[in-house]
Amino acid sequence: MKLYLGFLESSLPHETRIFGEVGGKLIDLKLAYADYLSHTANSSAADYELARYYFPETIAAFLNRGETAQKALDEIVFFAGRSGVANLRGPAGEKVTYDAEEIRLLPPFQNPEKSFVIGFSDRARKEALPKPEVPTGFYKLPQTFVTGGAPLVWPKFSEELDADACLALVIGKAGKRIPPEQAWEHVAGATLVVDVTARDVNRREGLTTNNLLGKNFPSSTSLGPPLWLKPTRKELASAVIQLSVDGSVRQQFALSDCVFTIEQIVARWSILGIKPGDFLAIGASMALQGDRLQNPAPLKIGAKVVCSSPAIGELSHPVVSSKGMNR
Amino acid sequence: MKLVTFVYKNHERIGALDDVGRIVDLHKAYETYLCEAECNPTADHLAMVALGRNMVELLKRGAASLEAARKALAHLGQKKKAADGETVFECSTVRLMAPVPRPGALISAGKNFSDHVAEMSSTKGPAAPVAFLKLPGSVIGPEDDISYPTEVKNLDYEVELAVIIGKPCVDVTEDEALQYVAGYAAFNDISARDVIRAENKTGIHLMGKSFPGFAPMGPYLVTADEIPDPQRLKLSLSVNGEKRQDSHLGYMIFKICEMISYWSQMGLNPGDVLTTGTPRGVAAGRKPDQTPWWLKPGDVVEAEVEKVGRLRNRVVVE
Repeated sequence: MKLYLGFLESSLPHETRIFGEVGGKLIDLKLAYADYLSHTANSSAADYELARYYFPETIAAFLNRGETAQKALDEIVFFAGRSGVANLRGPAGEKVTYDAEEIRLLPPFQNPEKSFVIGFSDRARKEALPKPEVPTGFYKLPQTFVTGGAPLVWPKFSEELDADACLALVIGKAGKRIPPEQAWEHVAGATLVVDVTARDVNRREGLTTNNLLGKNFPSSTSLGPPLWLKPTRKELASAVIQLSVDGSVRQQFALSDCVFTIEQIVARWSILGIKPGDFLAIGASMALQGDRLQNPAPLKIGAKVVCSSPAIGELSHPVVSSKGMNR
Repeated sequence: MKLVTFVYKNHERIGALDDVGRIVDLHKAYETYLCEAECNPTADHLAMVALGRNMVELLKRGAASLEAARKALAHLGQKKKAADGETVFECSTVRLMAPVPRPGALISAGKNFSDHVAEMSSTKGPAAPVAFLKLPGSVIGPEDDISYPTEVKNLDYEVELAVIIGKPCVDVTEDEALQYVAGYAAFNDISARDVIRAENKTGIHLMGKSFPGFAPMGPYLVTADEIPDPQRLKLSLSVNGEKRQDSHLGYMIFKICEMISYWSQMGLNPGDVLTTGTPRGVAAGRKPDQTPWWLKPGDVVEAEVEKVGRLRNRVVVE
């Protein structure tokens, strides 16, 4: 199941909704669940309120509702399969089913406490450098988030921009100091992340073992489009993630290439405490320059960057100049 | 004005100090003002909309919300209202949180005092401002406990000034930078030196600066109009009453206006917090033996910035 966060043209910006992809269409889960409830023997005046409880305004809040909300989602899928996706209507006849073009998609997670990219983690890196003892990471500020379709705006302070593809493990259940053998229970699924870097600034900052400006500027983090909810561990570990620039493939990897296991990474960062909607993005190699595959792709104004994985979808971005942009 | 965030009946509230140092609940006070001075029939609703639900929302509302807060305080002042535990509180009766309990971004300068750079045995100061992100979730209040995580052996302190941004701020010059400051608070950049060392071997540090409770801030947000020149303030830190850091913000390598100008390249927002970096006197810099100065469970750390306020936090085993 894939979950999207978005809003309709006619709604206020904060009135976000969760959409589920069923039969190639996006369905408004809150209204679909209200409709389902209205068809059950337990239907009551509280149908809308219950639906709003299980399908609130953010995916993080939905995950926070726990297993009963997941069960509600299963009921919608079953109900939609029986009555036909195209025939779904809210209890008062509201529109439930949309084409993707009708929805303004948002990054599936808006303001997580922990939005980390775990560095130095793929096979290319493993060969190039000594094995890291711990999965280190850096923090991407939520104020830098965009999702597919948004322009990547070239920052004025950099001459050298590149992009790394990542697969982000999304946390579905809160925990702290989780042992590796229980870590998988805390993973709700995954989403794609493009980590954009001002490499010249990053290199300079790296001399002081810091990075900030080189990794955090408007549109330097793209995530989505959906949350790929509850893949099996095998599906997740073998999903192939690819980054292309103007159609030429620059990075390709799967989590099984990673130096650390999913469980080691979740266990390590859970030391700080993790919550639903937090993510740990595991990425392609960093900091190596050159033309061979797996190295970050140098970008140019006008380039098209696409990060994709068949099971999840794709994030596609034009690279644009900041000139004339109203930041 | 001194703005605070405090806890009342398990709810986060925003407040301000009145002229005798009591805490005034801003929503209640503004509601009273709207009701009594402007005869507004839905004063409670408008007070919430006008001030926002928390300090970041208040700052995002800009000058209008500060003006509302001033009117509310003045109105209560005229009435000489007694502490009633509803609108006006004696300070000792409520728990203060950090004035900005969850900043959008918490940007902490490193290597920004020449005496500190020297004690940490770096050869020279950096050519451009250096900073790292602390997780907003690591922020705690002025009297909350600093947790001593089981993973940590070398726990250190760093007194700093926190600069709270009040207006959206992109590519500003040094000359105009201070206009974007909402106010100031005292700050303690708690650091796990051993965790940082391990992280720096193959990456950058993140965990070592961001355990829960590693960012005491407060006690108030002192609005910028009360601090015309933040570079003229003294700052100091003591552990169990023994002075460890004692310096002056005039010794900063990159001044506050330079920091704001530089970091505004990434775009700063109301409620973002920049901290100045720390002067000499941290445990990691003690020569020849660092051991006696690492923080231990039970230690009381007091970090103070002149005219801004003092933090008093106890170190406790997590």
